[in-house]
Parts: sequence; C-alpha cells; structure tokens
Amino acid sequence: MSASPAAGDTASIPATNGVLTGFGLCVRLLLRRNWLRLLIWAVLLPLMIPVVYSSQQAAFPTQTARDSYSQVANTPAVAAMTGLPYSSGSLGGILVIKIWMTLAISLAFASIFLLTRNGRADEEAGRTELLRAQALGRYAYSLANYAVVGSLSVVTGLLIALFSLGEKLPTAGSFVMGGSVAGVGLVFVGIGALCGQLSSTSRGANSLGVGFLAVFYVIRAVADVRADGSRSSGLSWLSPIGWAQNMRAFGDNNWWPFLALLAFTVISCAVALRVETHRDLGMGLLAERPGPARASAFLTTHVGLVLRLQRTPLAAWIVGAVVAGLFFGGVATAMAGLLDPSTPWAKAFVGDSQNMLNSVLGIFGLFNALLAAAFAVQILTTARSQEAGGPLELELAGSVSRLRWFGGHVLVAAAGSAAMLLLGGWLTGASSGGVISGLTTAGASFAYWPAVLLMMGVFTFLYGFAPRHSVSIAWAIYGAFLILALFGRLFSLSEDAIRATPFGAVPRMPAEKFSLTPMLALTVVALVLGALGIWRFSTRDIESE
Amino acid sequence: MSTTVAAIEVSSLRKRFARTLALDGLNLSVDQGQVTGFLGPNGSGKSTTIRILLGLLRADGGNARLLGGDPWHDAVALHRRIAYVPGDVSLWPNLTGGQAIDIIARLHGGADKVKREELLERFQLDPTKKARSYSKGNRQKVALVSALATNAELLILDEPTSGLDPLMEEVFTECIQEIKAQGRSVLLSSHIFTEVEKLCDTITIIRDGRTVEAGRLNELRHLQRSVVAVSLDRDASVLVGTPGVNDLVVDGKHATFTVSEAELGAVLAALSAYSPHSLVSKPPSLEAIFLRHYSDPLQRPVSTRTAGI
Ligand SMILES: Nc1ncnc2c1ncn2[C@@H]1O[C@H](COP(=O)(O)OP(=O)(O)O)[C@@H](O)[C@H]1O
Ligand SMILES: [Mg+2]
Repeated sequence: MSASPAAGDTASIPATNGVLTGFGLCVRLLLRRNWLRLLIWAVLLPLMIPVVYSSQQAAFPTQTARDSYSQVANTPAVAAMTGLPYSSGSLGGILVIKIWMTLAISLAFASIFLLTRNGRADEEAGRTELLRAQALGRYAYSLANYAVVGSLSVVTGLLIALFSLGEKLPTAGSFVMGGSVAGVGLVFVGIGALCGQLSSTSRGANSLGVGFLAVFYVIRAVADVRADGSRSSGLSWLSPIGWAQNMRAFGDNNWWPFLALLAFTVISCAVALRVETHRDLGMGLLAERPGPARASAFLTTHVGLVLRLQRTPLAAWIVGAVVAGLFFGGVATAMAGLLDPSTPWAKAFVGDSQNMLNSVLGIFGLFNALLAAAFAVQILTTARSQEAGGPLELELAGSVSRLRWFGGHVLVAAAGSAAMLLLGGWLTGASSGGVISGLTTAGASFAYWPAVLLMMGVFTFLYGFAPRHSVSIAWAIYGAFLILALFGRLFSLSEDAIRATPFGAVPRMPAEKFSLTPMLALTVVALVLGALGIWRFSTRDIESE
Repeated sequence: MSTTVAAIEVSSLRKRFARTLALDGLNLSVDQGQVTGFLGPNGSGKSTTIRILLGLLRADGGNARLLGGDPWHDAVALHRRIAYVPGDVSLWPNLTGGQAIDIIARLHGGADKVKREELLERFQLDPTKKARSYSKGNRQKVALVSALATNAELLILDEPTSGLDPLMEEVFTECIQEIKAQGRSVLLSSHIFTEVEKLCDTITIIRDGRTVEAGRLNELRHLQRSVVAVSLDRDASVLVGTPGVNDLVVDGKHATFTVSEAELGAVLAALSAYSPHSLVSKPPSLEAIFLRHYSDPLQRPVSTRTAGI
C-alpha cells in the first residue's frame, strides 16, 4: 500500500544527495501520520482569538472601562499566571493578558508531544529501524520531523495574526502576536528534539520536555512578579518564554527577540541531530534511572500492591477533587447571582428552588459525585485490563484467592471515592467565602457515596458475567446516568424517571432535604449486583486476550 | 501428605471453548520427584491443561489432582506449594524486575534470598530495570528466577525457554537438573523435543487435546523400531514379504527398513541368507517418536507406505 509510492520516490531521488536523501518522502509520511492532530491544533488555537476577543470587547466596551481596568489589572496573581500587563488600556493588550500565555503554552505542549510521537516513541517501538534500513539520508527523517512540527508553529502563528487582523486590531501588533506565540512553539521543537536524544523512552522524553516547560514558565513568572511597573525584570531573559513575552505584541512590537528564539531553535535542533547520528539506535544520553532491586514488605502484601499500582491515578484524582472543590466554592456565589431563576433553563438545570445559591451548591455536590464515580469505575476497570493482557494469571497462580484479589480493587475504589467526596465537598464549602459551612457541603457530597457504590456494583456485575465487554458497557452506562441526572429535566423527562437513576435518586442537598430511603435502596442494589458479579468471577474462566 | 500421592494426576480431561474443543480426554501424570516432559505441537492443549491445573480455567469433564488436592477448590493452599512460569509472561510495567520477583515468589511461599541473588547472576538479569523495558526473554527470566528461588515441591513450567537464547537455555537446563537432584517434581511443557530429551524421566505427548504417548523415555524407545540399512549381494527386493521388515525402501542392492526389538533376531537370520556386505542399525531417537505423532499420517512420504508390507 504505502510501500509502492515510497519505493518510487526513493528511486527518483539521486543517491548522491547524501544526508538529506528521502527528506521529502519523510515529510509526506509524517504529514500522513499526523495530519489530524496538526489540523486540530492549528485550527483550535487561532480560533480562541475571535472567541476571547469578542468576550473582552463585550466586557470592556468603552475606553473608560478599559482605563479603569488598567488601574487594577497589574496584580501579582495576573502577572504570575499570564504575564506582565503592559498595555492593559487597549483591547489588543487585554487580549494578550487573557489569551497569549494559554496559546504559547498549548503550542509548546503540542510541539513536545508531536515531536516525541514521531521521534523517540517510534525509535522505542522499533519503527525507526525499519526506516533507517531504507535508503534514507542520515538527517532526513529527524529533520523532516522538526520541519513538520515546526511548521505547525508557523501556520498557527500566521493564523493568529490573520484572525487578529480580522478583528481590526493594529497590523504590527497582530503579526507580533502571532510571531511571539509561534516563537515559543518553535523553541519547544528544539527542546523536544533535545529531550528525544536525552531520554531512551518516550515517556521520559515527554516528561523531560514538560519539565523544561515548567521551569521556564516559573522563571518568567518570578520575573513578571518582580517587574518594575511595566519594565520587565532582567530575570525574564533567562526563559525563552520571557523572550517571546518581551516582543510585547500591541505594545512595543519588538521583533529582535524573535531572532533569539529562532537561533535557539536552530541550534538545539542541530545539536540534537548531531547527537542522534553519533549514538546507537535505541539509546539515550541519560541512562534510565534504575529502580529498587527488591520489593518492600508493603509491596508484597496484596493491598500494598494494588495501592502501588494505582498510586498515580489515585493521586491524580484526589488532586482533581481538590481543584474541583476549590473551584466550586470559589464560583458558587457568582454563579448563583448570574443564573436567572425565572428562566426555564435554570429551573431545569439547577432545580426549582427558592434559594439559587443552595441549588447551585446542590449541583456542585452532583459534580463531585460524578467525578468520584468516574474514579471508582476507572480503578475497577484495571481489574479487567490486568486480566486481559496483564499479570493477573501470575497472581492467581499464587496464593491469592479471586475474592481477595478483586476485593483489593474494590477497597481502593470505595475508600478513594469516599475520600474524594468528603474532600471535594468540604472544600466547596470551605472556599465559598463563608456562605456555607464545609461540613454541610461535605455531607451533601458524601450522600452520593451509595450512588458511587452502585456504579461499582454495575461494573462488578459486568466483570463477572461479560468480562470482555465490561469496560465499554460500564462507561456507556455511566455516561447515560450522567446525562439523565444533569439534563434529564431539560429533556422534560418525568421526575420519577430521573429519581430512578442513581445520581438522580440522591437528594441534592442543601437545596433538597435529606432522605434515607434512596440511599438504602442504592446500597442494597449495589451490594446485590456486586455480590452476583464476584460470585460469577469466582466461578468463571480467566479470559485473557 | 504421603509420598505416594502423585504430584499431578489428570485423567480424561475435557475442555471446550466457544468454538474449539481444546482438550478431549487428556491423561497426564507426574510422579513425585520426577521431571515430566509435556510435549505437543502449538495449539495441542498444553497451556489449557496447565491453566486447569492452576485453577484459572474450569474443566468441563474428567479428573485433575494437584499434589493430592483439587486444583479448583484448594487453589490457594496448593499454590503455596508450587511455582509457575507462564508461556507468555506479562508483568506490572511500572515495577522493576526485582520487585516483580519478590511479589511473585511471595505468592508461592517466599524466595530464598541467597538463591535469588545467585539466579539473577546466572541468568544475567538486571533487577533494577522497569518491567516496561524488558524483552520477552527478560520477562521470562523474571518468572524463572522467582520460580526457581522458591522451595516449591512442584514446578509447572509452560514453554519456559521460548524466549531464551541458547546460553540461557543451558543455564536453565542446569537449574532443572539441580531441582531434580533435590527430589522435587517438574512439569515441563515444550514443543522442542531436544530440551525434553535432556531433562525428563517421563514424557507425555499430546495432540489435538488427546494423549497419544506416555511413559518413561527408555520404555518409549523400546517400543520404537530401529532403522536398519543393508547392502546385499543381489537385488534387495527379495526382502519384500520378510516377516518383521517394515517401511522397506529398496534401491538396487541397497535397502533400508525398520524393525522392532522383538523381531530383530529373526530378521537378522533371514538376512544372512543374502550374505550382506554391510549392515547399519540405528536406535530410534526421541525425535522419531515425536515426529511420528506430530506429522499427519496422511502426509507421510508415499514410498515408505507402498514399499513396506
Ligand atoms: N481462552 C480461549 N478461548 C478460545 N480458545 C482457546 C482459548 N485458549 C486456548 N484456546 C484454543 O485451545 C486450543 C489449545 O490451546 P493451548 O492450550 O494454548 O495450546 P498449546 O499451549 O499446546 O499451544 C487452541 O486451539 C487454542 O486456540
Ligand atoms: Mg501454550
């Protein structure tokens, strides 16, 4: 299929071309493999310009409004997060505050991940070996990779400039806006290229790249907080993101830092190419960090092993619950003020309540519950992935019973989801600025625990009776329950039907009154489904792929 | 527990998957203190038998005993006394090989520390590498080290050398010989007969889920015919019809045929009438036994069938 045009192309390239032989072929190969990803990034990022611009235009319609904004724009928080506001009295300057950093960081992520995907990940999977065996020049494939990923930055930058021009923003500023974002993307093409040479695994290369991004982001954050008025601190020259910020779109419109960004990119790509052609295939400059040669006593216990294997998702979901709780508490009052209780939409979404704040808090409790349930289902689904292609066989061939093995997963899912509900719920109240107590919201969230248990029961039942399809069916059921609970009233479903779904059955406290019956009912159904599933799992064949 | 109980005793075992009949009346026994080779072509049902013995699959019929117990109901208690190396080892990608070894060994009664270090050395395995970066051979070494480092009474090994290079295969052979010397039992599944020939006291050959040959290696050799090559003073076709001469192939004055041990004397006496110039007799190899069961009878060379009686 793809081999025949490839053969033709290689044949048409003179063999004397040396190190770049087959460059065009590689570019086409890379475009074919990545076109969808490239397209999504190149469209989504520039589209944020008109979206954000029109919202800012609506928020600051007059010069007076913008002037008063510029009096208060320069807070340390804004400077640290999105950069020094140097021209907050103009719409262009406000656009930079609201969106520049997001665009630049997103493009940096895209550069790192795409470069690794085509570079180190391919080498790790052994696909590069195939390519090198072809009649390709030494630099052809990697240079094509840098060029293709680099062109994403160029195209994105150009589109950002064009969209800005389309909003009738000043020409010079529009181009500097696009150029500075593209410059950050290009710098991270260089950094990604270097990371691909340093690490011998794609995970390592990506983490290293993201690590550099974080360090450079923090350096410029410190610099922007330390700035003297609108004069940036010298520290910002230590970070390439700082260089790009110093181009000051819609402000001074400097182009010369762009040259530094380009030089950085070219030099790091050249170094990466040189390293690549002087090392063995499959190796990285940094040796992979050795891990422990022995298992700790904790790890050889069954629950210890489950906890260790689930450490990363567990931590990630708990952090997610904390962030969500803080966010919910922070926006509760504002949202209650924004929603007009007389609109049918608001009624359907948050319920028919006298007290809009309580309704909003009620729906935040539901959000906490949906997060916790997703976590619990995800933990349990690893039981299936370990059976399908994992080490379950090794464990069950040892002295662990099926009940104990699955029980370990149930324990982590149940305890972890309870912790998420309590923590997320408590933080919702605690960060609400005193409008409601943390204990009340913690209770409101925790009331959803039986609904989470029910989702666990559903998965356990499927795992016992239909292991091969358990994961997809469980997520489909979760999705259906989520839609029914959130939007059931919008679809004008009957109240009884919504009450019959797990997340609709639990009263939305504090807007609704506590009631024991639905919780007991949910728990009983969860236990029955779970017991049936575990019984079936204990008596069925282990089904690996 | 008495020593008269067989380590493994399987009779008329049947197992059907959705479309395939994987086991169709399989018999297998491993006596205490013996190394038993479990031979069969790919897809013949070796792994399925082993998975039933480990309580991972449930048999549809027949009988299976492991160390005197029921492999399904007594699984947890039995598994402390055995060790297992799967055919395709998959580990926890985020843990190191060393961690995996300890976890697996712990599930089989724990590893002997000194032996563990010695085995890591002999198999040249780096225990500090993440399992994600291990090749198939290295994953197999992890399972082997943890199995060999335990004091299990019975080792169940499912094609344990399929990912090892010849040097490591040699190390493996030595390790099994040590286990044998300690009087422990081993079930060694394989589709490579030379490996089994080196190590095993008894063998069971299966095909399409059925046992086709079982017994001590030397007994099986007895059953097999020797191959004889002779040159006579006349056209060798005179041998056609001689009692005891099988699979005869005639080429002028030369002939090859097979003869069973019991009839060798009578055949030699008959041959002497044709004053043979040369006579070479070769004992049967295990390979011959093996290939006889492996190759489909319909695909045997035609000459040996038509020329023989
Ligand atoms: N889980 C399964 N589902 C369906 N068929 C299976 C399954 N496991 C094994 N089989 C089939 O059973 C037969 C025996 O397989 P197996 O025991 O793995 O053979 P061996 O280990 O001797 O190569 C094969 O035909 C195989 O395809
Ligand atoms: Mg097998």
